[in-house]
Amino acid sequence: MEFLSYLSPMFFALVGFGVIVGIIFGAIPGMTATMAVAVCLPMTYALDLINGLALLLGLYVGGISGGLVPAILLKIPGTPSSITTTFDGYPMTQKGEGERALKTGITASLFGGIFSAVILFLFAPSLADFAIKFSYVEKFLIILFALTVIASLSRNLLLGIFSGVLGVWFSLIGSYDISYGGNGEYRLMTDAMVPYLESGFSLLPVLIGLFGLGTIMQEAEKGIREEVGKGKKLDLNGGTPFSFSVFKGEMINLIRSSSLGTFVGMLPGVGGSAASVLSYTQQKNFSKHPEKLGKGAPEGVIASEAANNGLTGGALIPLLSLGIPGDSTTAVLIGAFTLQGIQLGPLFIGNNLDTWNTMMVALLFANLVMFFVMFFAIRTIVKVITIPKYLLYPGIIMMCVVGAYAINFGIMFDVWTLLFFGLFGYLGQKVGLEVAPFIIGFILGKQAEVYFVKSLESFGSLTIFFTKSPIAMVLWVLILISVVFSIYGMIKQKKNNNKHA
Amino acid sequence: MKFLKSGLAVAMAAFMGLAASQASAADVELAKNLRIVIGSKSTGGDTYQNSAIVAQALADKLGINVKVDAVGSSAAFKTLRRISNGSTIMIFHDQSYLGYLYGVKGYFNIFEDFTVGPTVAINPGNSYLVPKSSPYQSIEDIIQACASDKKIRVAIQPGGVSEIGFSALKNAIKLRYPGKEANLVAVNTGSQSDKNQLLFDGQADLINGSVQANEQYTQLPAEDQKAMRFVWLTARPETIKQTKPEGFGDTSQEHLLDFVSPKASVTQDGEKDFTFDKEFFFIYNKKMDPAIVDALDEALGEIYAEGKIQETQKKSFFIPNFKPSAEAAAYLKDKMGQYEVIIDSIK
Repeated sequence: MEFLSYLSPMFFALVGFGVIVGIIFGAIPGMTATMAVAVCLPMTYALDLINGLALLLGLYVGGISGGLVPAILLKIPGTPSSITTTFDGYPMTQKGEGERALKTGITASLFGGIFSAVILFLFAPSLADFAIKFSYVEKFLIILFALTVIASLSRNLLLGIFSGVLGVWFSLIGSYDISYGGNGEYRLMTDAMVPYLESGFSLLPVLIGLFGLGTIMQEAEKGIREEVGKGKKLDLNGGTPFSFSVFKGEMINLIRSSSLGTFVGMLPGVGGSAASVLSYTQQKNFSKHPEKLGKGAPEGVIASEAANNGLTGGALIPLLSLGIPGDSTTAVLIGAFTLQGIQLGPLFIGNNLDTWNTMMVALLFANLVMFFVMFFAIRTIVKVITIPKYLLYPGIIMMCVVGAYAINFGIMFDVWTLLFFGLFGYLGQKVGLEVAPFIIGFILGKQAEVYFVKSLESFGSLTIFFTKSPIAMVLWVLILISVVFSIYGMIKQKKNNNKHA
Repeated sequence: MKFLKSGLAVAMAAFMGLAASQASAADVELAKNLRIVIGSKSTGGDTYQNSAIVAQALADKLGINVKVDAVGSSAAFKTLRRISNGSTIMIFHDQSYLGYLYGVKGYFNIFEDFTVGPTVAINPGNSYLVPKSSPYQSIEDIIQACASDKKIRVAIQPGGVSEIGFSALKNAIKLRYPGKEANLVAVNTGSQSDKNQLLFDGQADLINGSVQANEQYTQLPAEDQKAMRFVWLTARPETIKQTKPEGFGDTSQEHLLDFVSPKASVTQDGEKDFTFDKEFFFIYNKKMDPAIVDALDEALGEIYAEGKIQETQKKSFFIPNFKPSAEAAAYLKDKMGQYEVIIDSIK
């Protein structure tokens, strides 16, 4: 228990500080957990490894958790992994259940965070051994599995799939990056576009453009007269108030979503957003009332938030037991280790037991701080929606623009991307484009391509996708079940609608 | 009145700030805020780590703010091309010209389009590994396997530092066993994680890696699917000899020397062995005031003369390697010329 001597008041203060700053970063559209960690990384030079990690882990947990605030209150995902939180969180806010949605989300986040930390602590090395069983083929199938969410998210199946494919298409614009093993050639653009688009569209400006700017444009179209004229006041607690009984019957959902989050987190290269997307789909497939999802069902918020916080422990598994980051934020965390001259790899845990134990304490403490800070600050946070929209929205646009400009260290084209996709989302929805499937296609498209092409390059045959391993076969079964459930759900809903009509 | 007072205070402060910045500008002709863009997007990689060490030393020496931004090569070159006043400079490594030699889009001849500045450090870790259970015990075994028509698949990231060792190996096979070089096949992939994965999956016989990222894998027992073995380090022997005697992790310097020329020999031209040290250096806008180049050379010269930065670099397994701009440019140009011959010979 020598590690206990490292746990100074400074250690806990740094975790707490990190969590609060992380929440702020996560809550501002356009700023992410990755950014929070990257911005604060140089601060850790002045600290020793333990205290440096305390700060960074606090930032990580806070940053991932903060994203639910704008997702629920404003329908703008604060981070890419909180996209699915908007699906039910925002409708809840519209019903006057903003506070309930936030508290539900925060509690689910706490569960997911603690769950994954425990899994990390108990099983990291053996899970890392399992993770390396996933080659290009299995990773492609995981992405494909996540893509099946498009079917269950679409209002109109055909338009939804079209939007998803369009999203994939947009994600492929740019070069086939050599850093993924590509040939560096440019695709889907003219020579004139090369200076701007050689690396393609950045995810974050696209995301906040579609969700943030697009939504604001829609609201602007309605005009502010309606709101002022009717003297309508947004209700903060009009609907069902929050109580922990909302989790009754949701234990399976919580565990499944946290497990999926942890599992996706530990697969390097699959990406964090896939975690919440996958668990949301599964909740929709297994829900007793799938028709309620997307219309303000707390179970949707639970699935999404448990998964994206489950990611935190999951993404640390390959980092600490293979020396390989599980997601973009843990990739930045590596910096803290290398700058302190600590070697990461399969022997890290055994060689650095004290560091490992203190990291676990930091992770658990960060989750608790996140819970208490957010849970009790909610009464204040939720008042954001009472700010008149003509004051609120310009502020949000400003933050979106600053976030888009800053995400790649000052690229003006990212601001144009934000505006373009804002307009695209606004106009697209008028002609039936479905934003959620589009963005999911966009997020997963690039990885899907790389893993698909690399699988073919490695194995040379399409049949390998079916025959590579038992894991691949299980994944195909899951994909099939997911698609069948979605179609079945849609047919059932259509029948219900017809009955009501 | 209060407003007037505070207004005056602000004006005064602004004036004083301006005067101070002018005074320091006259001294060192450097911007008060120096931005270093790097050719990598990772803040966990060696480029960032090395740049952060140098940036900190420069900031302390010159009393200026120095910020390192991991923007990636394409954005870094673009930014550098735009800003000539010396407020933004770049740090990168051999990839900057190897990308050009391999014809990767977004790379230029840095010696023509930019000004090459001082070198600051070497990362001696570029290496090649096989699974621990592999029948190939050395890089010579790999060459012999190709000579006897066995296909050897090598996982690399194409277009740069990761590929140059592969090209050299192919060139060596071609020189010794003409026509057999086709048996050495590249498996193009991305990150270190992907390269490792190909080895775990049995989809590659040899992978490019680094001492820093892969050393722990070499300590695993042979029955572990993840266990690996070094067969070749591309660094010059004199570079490895400058590492600490304890080497890296559990691999001593003496043991590391087993994988370096002349013990691990890959011929470059039939006479001397091929070596490759990954060196970090500054790159400037072509139109940047030469006085700034000199000022940075001078500042770095003093930093290295003090000797403290060397300790920090060695702690992170970098080999200090300061060469002033003119010397560095000539040296790197020659290095590029040598690699150009190799790349051309196997086209």
